[in-house]
Amino acid sequence: MLGRGLKRKLSDYEESMAGLSSAFDSSRGLSYPLKRQLVLNMCLTKLQTYKMLVEPNLHRSVLIANTVRQIQEEMRQESSQQPVSICPGIAPAAHSYPGMEAPGISLQLPAAVGQQESHCCELRSVEDPIESSLLIVSDDDMSSAISSILKDLDFVEDISPPTCLVPTGDDQPKFPENTGLKLEDDRQDLKGAECVFGSFEISNSTSYLKDLAIDDIFEDIDTSMYDSDFCCPPLMSPRSPSLATEEPLKTFPSCNSSSANNIQICRTDLSELDHIMEILVGS
Amino acid sequence: MEGERICEVDSGDGLGADIISTVEFNHTGELLATGDKGGRVVIFQREPESKNEPYNQGEYNVYSTFQSHEPEFDYLKSLEIEEKINKIKWLPQQNAAHSLLSTNDKTIKLWKITERDKRPEGYNLKDEEGKLKDLSTVTSLQVPVLKPMDLMVEVTPRRIFANGHTYHVNSISVNSDCETYMSADDLRINLWHLAITDRSFNIVDIKPANMEDLTEVITASEFHPHHCNLFVYSSSKGSLRLCDMRASALCDKHSKLYEEPEDPSNRSFFSEIISSVSDVKFSHSGRYMLTRDYLTVKVWDLNMETKPVETYQVHDYLRSKLCSLYENDCIFDKFECAWNGSDSVIMTGAYNNFFRMFDRNTKRDVTLEASRESSKPRAILKPRRVCVGGKRRKDDISVDSLDFTKKILHTAWHPTENIIAIAATNNLYIFQDKVNSEMH
Repeated sequence: MLGRGLKRKLSDYEESMAGLSSAFDSSRGLSYPLKRQLVLNMCLTKLQTYKMLVEPNLHRSVLIANTVRQIQEEMRQESSQQPVSICPGIAPAAHSYPGMEAPGISLQLPAAVGQQESHCCELRSVEDPIESSLLIVSDDDMSSAISSILKDLDFVEDISPPTCLVPTGDDQPKFPENTGLKLEDDRQDLKGAECVFGSFEISNSTSYLKDLAIDDIFEDIDTSMYDSDFCCPPLMSPRSPSLATEEPLKTFPSCNSSSANNIQICRTDLSELDHIMEILVGS
Repeated sequence: MEGERICEVDSGDGLGADIISTVEFNHTGELLATGDKGGRVVIFQREPESKNEPYNQGEYNVYSTFQSHEPEFDYLKSLEIEEKINKIKWLPQQNAAHSLLSTNDKTIKLWKITERDKRPEGYNLKDEEGKLKDLSTVTSLQVPVLKPMDLMVEVTPRRIFANGHTYHVNSISVNSDCETYMSADDLRINLWHLAITDRSFNIVDIKPANMEDLTEVITASEFHPHHCNLFVYSSSKGSLRLCDMRASALCDKHSKLYEEPEDPSNRSFFSEIISSVSDVKFSHSGRYMLTRDYLTVKVWDLNMETKPVETYQVHDYLRSKLCSLYENDCIFDKFECAWNGSDSVIMTGAYNNFFRMFDRNTKRDVTLEASRESSKPRAILKPRRVCVGGKRRKDDISVDSLDFTKKILHTAWHPTENIIAIAATNNLYIFQDKVNSEMH
């Protein structure tokens, strides 16, 4: 169930991304926040893909993580200066559809924005297929995504500490005092990693799932909407802030529900709607 | 570099279908080593010039082929270790044998290449085939003599430097003292003695206590050509650090930091990614360093840390395509760069099998293409041009029709002559400038 349709979704997503990146390059009608969002989504998708690799490329992961951090920082600064301005594609909680979560309701709005929901809806009047296919990810998600990837890289790579190579002579002042510590660190890393991979039966991103009960995951969320990850904490539940550190990266199309009747359905949305229908109908 | 006469050695068949991953001339330029993705090393030797065949002078032919690294499996981490040769470095020749270091992601090996062109004949106890003689037939003693035989090149592994690196080795560099060398991975640099394989000294370690704080990795490193205590390493943030091993055992603190402040007018989301230095090379004089990042090559004066003394645009027309190049991962391609023997011209590769040369004195630059179609033996290379819209001349290539799968990442320049080796995927091209053979 969780794995169904993943590949198809990802390739659809990639196709739409290819179109978007050419649009980015030709600077056709993409505003700065949109461009930034696009880049952010690409980064997060890449990081997600790397997470699935046995041995992700450290150089690339660091470069991408830095880009995400940079964008994150920019968005943070913007949100602290102008709380109203961060709106593209954010659907306020109050306008949720009955019974199910419409595709693309953002997970955790930055605190300042959440209070400005009503303003946001009014600002967004133009539907844009590009915008509606962009993905909104919260600040905490990004941080946790970066942290988890770098942490995993540490586990994957550095099990054998370099201290075993150092000669017993006095040429290396750094090592003798750190030897014990380093080995301990690595052992702890190992233990941590073991916990991470302990509950492996659900998906390969179990680091996010270790504290979540399965019921919580499916409580009121249509999980099929999430392109790249399996686990999805509830969108609206008040618990979400506390799960911030555990949560995976969620990417999903956004949609402005203030004009529900003019939602422009682009390619990615179509396949998602199909999915939603399937689940609703209970097939 | 106009009017080149080309002597092409297309070794696509000789190397099988494997992608060339490194190219390196030895210190005299007589030998050229290539490493490939399959772990093989092919060494070419330059034919001595002879009056009898003036057109064959200076051609490179296959001298030896051997399997340097095999794929390995790390059972502890369940990881496959690729056999791809990341770098080859020749040791200065100290006797009749040649030696080189070759490395994959984890293990460095020292290979000794010897020639055998004579064999002893006239043994007393054995006959020509090696069978024991019937002693009754031996009536006198003779001294075995050495007789010439067909040249045989033997390659033997003399040292294996294993288990030194947790991360992937990206560079090796032999010290000018000819006794030590260093190997660098993403986070650490180790110093080895060429004769000792069971230990190495860690001289740079940029791994943070908490991996989540990691923001920078080591991308390349090299020893200074003359000062055996100095080395440089480049980072993914576009900075260079010159370190002095006399200062302390652990060179975490650089002696000099070379960094150019970002140009605010060129700022984009990809600024940091494109500033990552993919290669650093000292000039032969030791006075300058050459760095390559995604869009430019820069010449740095060792005495000036604030900015490079020269910057050359390799393919600035890609600046407006960064998002697409990021999407298809091309933005992470690691191009190498090279100096010519007199440090007056620098060279680097690009896409569409193009490579670029910049003359530092005349400030002229040229774009050339390495391809079968345009390079028949002894054909002259025609300069190419990429047009970005606007006036388009005949034979120009538009940016949109560039083939990004044809990338020239690895290039090498003969230490003294105008001969260059270009690796284009699985083909090796050797170009010579016969008209202007002397360095100027």
